[in-house]
Amino acid sequence: MDLRLPSKVLEHIFSFVDSNEDRNSVSLVCKSWFETERLTRKRVFVRNCYAVTPAAVARRFPGMRSLTLKGKPHFADYNLVPDGWGGYAWPWVEAMGEKYPALEELRLKRMVVTDECLEKIAASFKEFKALVLTSCEGFSTDGLAAIAVACSNLRELELRECIVEDLGGDWLSYFPETLTSLVSLDFSCLDSAVKLSDLERLVSRSPHLKSLKLNRAVSLDALGNLLRLAPQLVELGTGSFSDKLNQEAVSKLSQAFSELKELKSLSGLWDVLPEYIPLLYSVCPGLTSLNLSYATVQMPDLVELLSRCSKLEKLWVMDLIEDKGLEAVASSCKELRELRVFPSGADVDETNVAMTEQGLVTVSEACPNLESVLYFCAQFTNAAMVTIAKNRPNLKCFRLCVMEPFAPDHKTQQPLDEGFKAIVESCKDLQRLSVSGLLTDKAFEYIGTHGKKLRMLSIAFAGDSDLMLHHLLSGCESLNKLEIRDCPFGDTALLENAAKLETMRSLWMSSCCVSFGACKLLSQKMPKLNVEVIDEQHLTETGPDSSPVEKIYIYRTLAGPRVDMPEFVWTIHKNPEIGVSHLAIE
Amino acid sequence: MSTSKIFVLKSSDGETFEVEEAVALQSQTIAHMVEDNCVGNEIPLANITGEILTKVIEYCKKHVAVVHDGEGNLSSFLKEELKNWDTEFLSNIDQSTLFHLIMAANFLNIKDLLDLTCQGVADMIKGKSPEEIRALLNIENDFTSEDEEEIRAENQWTFK
Repeated sequence: MDLRLPSKVLEHIFSFVDSNEDRNSVSLVCKSWFETERLTRKRVFVRNCYAVTPAAVARRFPGMRSLTLKGKPHFADYNLVPDGWGGYAWPWVEAMGEKYPALEELRLKRMVVTDECLEKIAASFKEFKALVLTSCEGFSTDGLAAIAVACSNLRELELRECIVEDLGGDWLSYFPETLTSLVSLDFSCLDSAVKLSDLERLVSRSPHLKSLKLNRAVSLDALGNLLRLAPQLVELGTGSFSDKLNQEAVSKLSQAFSELKELKSLSGLWDVLPEYIPLLYSVCPGLTSLNLSYATVQMPDLVELLSRCSKLEKLWVMDLIEDKGLEAVASSCKELRELRVFPSGADVDETNVAMTEQGLVTVSEACPNLESVLYFCAQFTNAAMVTIAKNRPNLKCFRLCVMEPFAPDHKTQQPLDEGFKAIVESCKDLQRLSVSGLLTDKAFEYIGTHGKKLRMLSIAFAGDSDLMLHHLLSGCESLNKLEIRDCPFGDTALLENAAKLETMRSLWMSSCCVSFGACKLLSQKMPKLNVEVIDEQHLTETGPDSSPVEKIYIYRTLAGPRVDMPEFVWTIHKNPEIGVSHLAIE
Repeated sequence: MSTSKIFVLKSSDGETFEVEEAVALQSQTIAHMVEDNCVGNEIPLANITGEILTKVIEYCKKHVAVVHDGEGNLSSFLKEELKNWDTEFLSNIDQSTLFHLIMAANFLNIKDLLDLTCQGVADMIKGKSPEEIRALLNIENDFTSEDEEEIRAENQWTFK
């Protein structure tokens, strides 16, 4: 059967092929499929902005409507990546703006976005619909104003955990009266108060608004008005929840909450006063997602709240929940899929915060769909991990952050090797793992042996020797991202497993024992890897080859060494004679 | 009861099919032919065989019947019934027929049938490697090995 489908028909078939995985397969079938696929791909994901040049992406996918980009390595979230490292959105916006003005969506994570960039977006893309910035920085509220005023078809404007130079709340007032297409607005990370009357007018002329996340400056009183204007909300992030309201205002607010028939997600709740928590009771039964990571709610109030959330699938909360609170979660939230418990920083002695490993064990027993865990805890035990592993072999993500470095099992004083062994042995589909506490090389031997589906691994203050890295790189077949800090491994394992690095997106190591000489060797051996040394103390230039480097970031790339490095980042040049340079010299 | 006009569709291999107007007009191509007055009651379809035309008509007959049951808005029950029928329809045809149906739906411009059959092929492709897709659809790999490597690297390293 010789099938030659006309490209119009192929296009139509491909319009039903959505996932990038499938589109990548389609593109490799034959030349005509490659052509048709590339001309019709609408959503492009580039998970390391330095793995490819903007020009190459624009050339391959001229029909692109939505671009997702990630910049800095994950450890930037823990302040391990110095300011000025890179991850600039400008070259991308510039490349798209020139030739591909049909771009509609930009989703950026951990990138530097300037006001100039935002102005360029506003000026270049007439159909621009969605700007979602996560953990980005480099812009001010003036840049937001530029977007607001120009993007007449804007649907989404979301600033998630961004660092923004806040020049005031005027930016919101720049949304024109003609803008009625807003579906999602998140300005929760901004400090300044916006003009309430303008916000109310914006909300009231946005019938499609489904998600609204306010900043702390929006008072409880103001919230009532906004909810009355948008009872169709599916996601709500409140502002500050602590004004003193009179009885009438409270009952009006209660009424407003009870009108939110579609609400599935709730967040914000800064400074929430205990007496206002009952205001939330009417929405609890419908909630699937609850983010209390900014709400200093104490355990008894949390129990009251959570026992009403029978449909909850995602819960982010502080350790103020204590073991007792997690018991309430276990008995009421049977649909729970994702649990994140963050450290409140509350001193144990002072406030008697009683959250231990038992809390997580209880939840793991009772919640059959639990597949993703992030748990900050003062201490843990092997027995607890063994139980959790037995209860929940369906875990896909397990991130345990025992806060004291090198903390052993607090009951047996043993390393936590056996606990993590149980996790990787039992949870066969585990894709993401963060380990902590006292660990020997044995733990990594277990992970290397059993963690076959592991894609991302984070390690801090662990292991005894180079063997640790060797076990991981040679054993974890699916490994894609590895980030390591303060572990005593060195050159041998890295050089022996050099080829592995081309099968991974990136490797980050800081405060380890990798020498400068090894970095040079690695770079020469593997031409498609960028080996970047971050050296704020300027030791690289003058030190011997044997000196250890502060931080190293290695990633595969088709774009060659980058040209935008700051003076504290060195790339190891491929030509041994040139050695080390700041710039990509041909 | 209004008497519906009858069209006679003639396949490439000479088979004739009598269909009611409403059935025939699901094809935008036929609708335009009729509008432009360039056909009588007999419409020759030189690039569609009798076997395929049978299937097309089967589809169109079912879809007309359902639309005329309600007021134009399908109830959710009828939608469900139609969806099940469509799934059954797809599952009963082999690959070669599927592709010929796509071409027929394309030529006859029957949107719903084109969507259904293209979705059918898309579903066949999903989750498969390039090699598996080629084997399934009997497509030759005309890349040079360098080109193929380059695209593979770009896909893996960048667009995954």
